[in-house]
Amino acid sequence: MTPLLADTNFVDATWIMVVKSLVIFIVILSIVPVVLLAERKLLGRFQQRYGPNRVGPYGALQPLADVGKLLSKQGFRPKGAVPFLYEIAPAISIFAAVVTLAILPFGDVQGGVGLYGIDVPIGILYFFAFGAIGFYGLLLGGWASGSKYSFLGAMRSAAQLISYEIAMGLSLLGVVMMAGSLSLVDIVKAQGDIWFIVPQIVGFLIFMVAGFAETNRVPFDLPEADAELVAGYSTEYGGMRFGSYFFAEYMEILIISGIASTMFLGGWMGPGPPLLDPIWMLAKMLAITFFFIWIRATLPRFRYDQLMSFGWKILLPIATLNVLVTAVLVVVT
Amino acid sequence: MVEVAFFFGAIGAIGGALAVVLLRNPFYSVLALVVHLVFLAGIFLLLLSQFIAAAQIVVYAGAVMVIYVFVAAYVGGIEEPMFDSSPKLRIFGPIIAAALFIEISIAVLGSSLTALGTEGVAKVESGFGTPEAVGRLMLEDFLIAFEAASLLLLVAAVAAIVLAGRKDETTGPSATVPAGSTGPGEPG
Repeated sequence: MTPLLADTNFVDATWIMVVKSLVIFIVILSIVPVVLLAERKLLGRFQQRYGPNRVGPYGALQPLADVGKLLSKQGFRPKGAVPFLYEIAPAISIFAAVVTLAILPFGDVQGGVGLYGIDVPIGILYFFAFGAIGFYGLLLGGWASGSKYSFLGAMRSAAQLISYEIAMGLSLLGVVMMAGSLSLVDIVKAQGDIWFIVPQIVGFLIFMVAGFAETNRVPFDLPEADAELVAGYSTEYGGMRFGSYFFAEYMEILIISGIASTMFLGGWMGPGPPLLDPIWMLAKMLAITFFFIWIRATLPRFRYDQLMSFGWKILLPIATLNVLVTAVLVVVT
Repeated sequence: MVEVAFFFGAIGAIGGALAVVLLRNPFYSVLALVVHLVFLAGIFLLLLSQFIAAAQIVVYAGAVMVIYVFVAAYVGGIEEPMFDSSPKLRIFGPIIAAALFIEISIAVLGSSLTALGTEGVAKVESGFGTPEAVGRLMLEDFLIAFEAASLLLLVAAVAAIVLAGRKDETTGPSATVPAGSTGPGEPG
């Protein structure tokens, strides 16, 4: 069979691909509101209060109420905004986030079906490529809003992304060298003996720090620092356009959690029959997502110059050193 | 199917490239260049060069163009041209453009078009264009060229740092610090 676009490591029938896409999409789409609710409940607990508890039992229907509210709002566009770009920017963000889900492996090939969207040989580069496209969603949104706050937020996120993307790439390079492959499925298989978090603990820590910066989460949430910039790039957005940004942001958190579980925590590996593999993967993802929320409740925000000098003067040299040491060790052993 | 994908990519790439030259606002030109690069990556995918396609997006759209956008967003938004084209430029511009067109035409007609009408894709072995294959080419067959290019980039990076750092020495602490030297990536 001649591939249409590029070689992949495992090819499914077309109808299976369609079903897989739908399953991934629906599962993640229903997890995002749950994460949203979990974040608000947990933040409440961290801060000695209840969190949402009015809508439904234990406030469980709160995300539905929020989405319903956003959906019913008017699609408003400020006077100074650039029409087309203003409308397309949230779509770019959510597109890039959804597309990246395709490479997260939830299990090996079982019963002739690969439990992942697609296993591309470029693997982790796919994640970085769509991360780069997703960035334009933020930047265009901030620029096209025609507002100073939005613009400053977008520019901050641009600078932050450039600074931390390098450290993030280097932190994953150690894992790639140890596994000898870029493909996420091969990387998980290479962790049969020992999870990469043990030999690559430095890489894991750098990846998590850079991941917080890439997703604009506390303590790196300067692009939307509410005390200085109102809401950063999404200041002028309302209704479901704001909802799209919000959704994309939480999906990015899930994706970073997924990549971290895959690269460092053994992906789908866990005790029990192979049928439990997707459950293990999901559990690891949600555990890291919990860590994201925990940090949000714990740490204060960085100052802007601290953020920059931390990224360039501390994180980047450590990441480079980690790659060098790993390279030498991989060649020697 | 391949034809549809090719024309989709080709129209996007040419449209983006035209927009880069024709749009007056530098910010839109930069965005058009991003669109062009994304569609070009699609064409690389059609040629089974997935690593090149990913590198194209990560390096150009993700890093180089981000810096372009950064600059254009600050100084851009200008609808009128930044300078009047002088009469000299109006004569020399078309001449140079025509010379470039002839040169590229010779290159294209002399090499690439000979592959037209052949089964180009069917001939490549499996694994073509994967990171492994590209890495083997770069680090085994073309090692010297690869290392020379990396050395060149290193020299450029060091030179940029030297040039950027020299300002502080000559102006001294008492002199006014020029705007834009507030640190790496600090937006005002």
